[in-house]
Amino acid sequence: MKALIEAIEFYFPENALGNEALAQEWTSLSADQIFERTGIRERRVAAPDECASDLGVASAERLFESGPCNRESIDFLLFCTQSPDFFIPTTACLMHERLALPTSCGALDFNLGCSGYIYGLSLAKALIESGQAQKVLLVTADTYSKFIHPRDKSVRALFGDAGAATLVTGIEADESLIGPVVLGTDGQGAENFIVPTGGMRRATVPDAHVVADADGNCRTVNNLFMDGLEMFNFTIRVVPQTVRTLLSKAGKSMEEIDLFVFHQPNAVSLEHLRKKLGIPGEKFVVALEHYGNTVSASIPIALKNALTKGRLRSGNLVMLVGFGVGYSWGGLLLKWLT
Amino acid sequence: MTYREFYAALELIFQLKPNTIQGTEALDDLGEWDSLAKISFIAMADAELGAAVSAKALLACKTVQHLVKLFDGLITQ
Repeated sequence: MKALIEAIEFYFPENALGNEALAQEWTSLSADQIFERTGIRERRVAAPDECASDLGVASAERLFESGPCNRESIDFLLFCTQSPDFFIPTTACLMHERLALPTSCGALDFNLGCSGYIYGLSLAKALIESGQAQKVLLVTADTYSKFIHPRDKSVRALFGDAGAATLVTGIEADESLIGPVVLGTDGQGAENFIVPTGGMRRATVPDAHVVADADGNCRTVNNLFMDGLEMFNFTIRVVPQTVRTLLSKAGKSMEEIDLFVFHQPNAVSLEHLRKKLGIPGEKFVVALEHYGNTVSASIPIALKNALTKGRLRSGNLVMLVGFGVGYSWGGLLLKWLT
Repeated sequence: MTYREFYAALELIFQLKPNTIQGTEALDDLGEWDSLAKISFIAMADAELGAAVSAKALLACKTVQHLVKLFDGLITQ
């Protein structure tokens, strides 16, 4: 039994935050300048009462509506998020109930950001190929907007809220259709991308002071902090290394890869990686202009985008690489079959 | 890389006209020297000079000459 991706759907909140609105607030950059610097024109923002689980459930319902399977056939739900509904219970259990999945179905949350889709596919592959599941619903969703201070330009222009649902199915096949997989972690980078309060280590601080950094970006200890420079240095160090390790493990060359779909942090990072790795533009997917950096949903959104535009075809060998908060990273090859 | 090529790369980052930068300027006087501009600079150093730039070293730079000094020997007349 081998695992493969059978279907992907995604869902965005209704509210769009465009560069024009940001430019009016910030005044130091025009809408076009924000686009030139980020590659993003708008990003979706969840409503105050809209959680990552809502985006996840909506994307899963779209997947069921598209018809690849009955919900009764799902035997495992994996939910990747860094914005759970509650500490307790597991958000996947709540989603299980809303999606009316069978009680014989396993369900768990896992907390990862930009590498989450790779880890999710790795887990789904392991569940299927070990005989523990046949149809895994992998949902990746986040609402980073709720962590971001409105006057923190360093992150507000970049991140968008979204949910994506991926159906991973077991089929009889001789060759691996998802894999090999390369994973990595370096906790030394943890402080470079963090929401310092709200967990067990440090409670949310009521009436926390707003502090401006050297670039004039404002935040409190309750908000997301990202050291963009350190994250970029990590990206340009780790991603090329991951690509090389993956190719070596697979016994493949760059030329044999039909499509490269990386996590979508911003256009500058993506273009730099593309050039550094020598990937031709037609093989490299960039899909963040209307969504922003959607964290663990960014890769499935980009994959689905490529499929819809005819850039992803049956038989293609695709490389996925996710990298970011943690630091955590991973890459895998997959054979796309329809 | 020559000094002129280095200044031209900076002009691109700051979206300035060619030959604007002479090498004596303070970075804040050139335009928006925010985190995205700094990321573009690190990308340029990686691509054009094959050099890594630590965030700490870059944050300490306040002038164009400070940036030049990050790449001792790699930028020439």
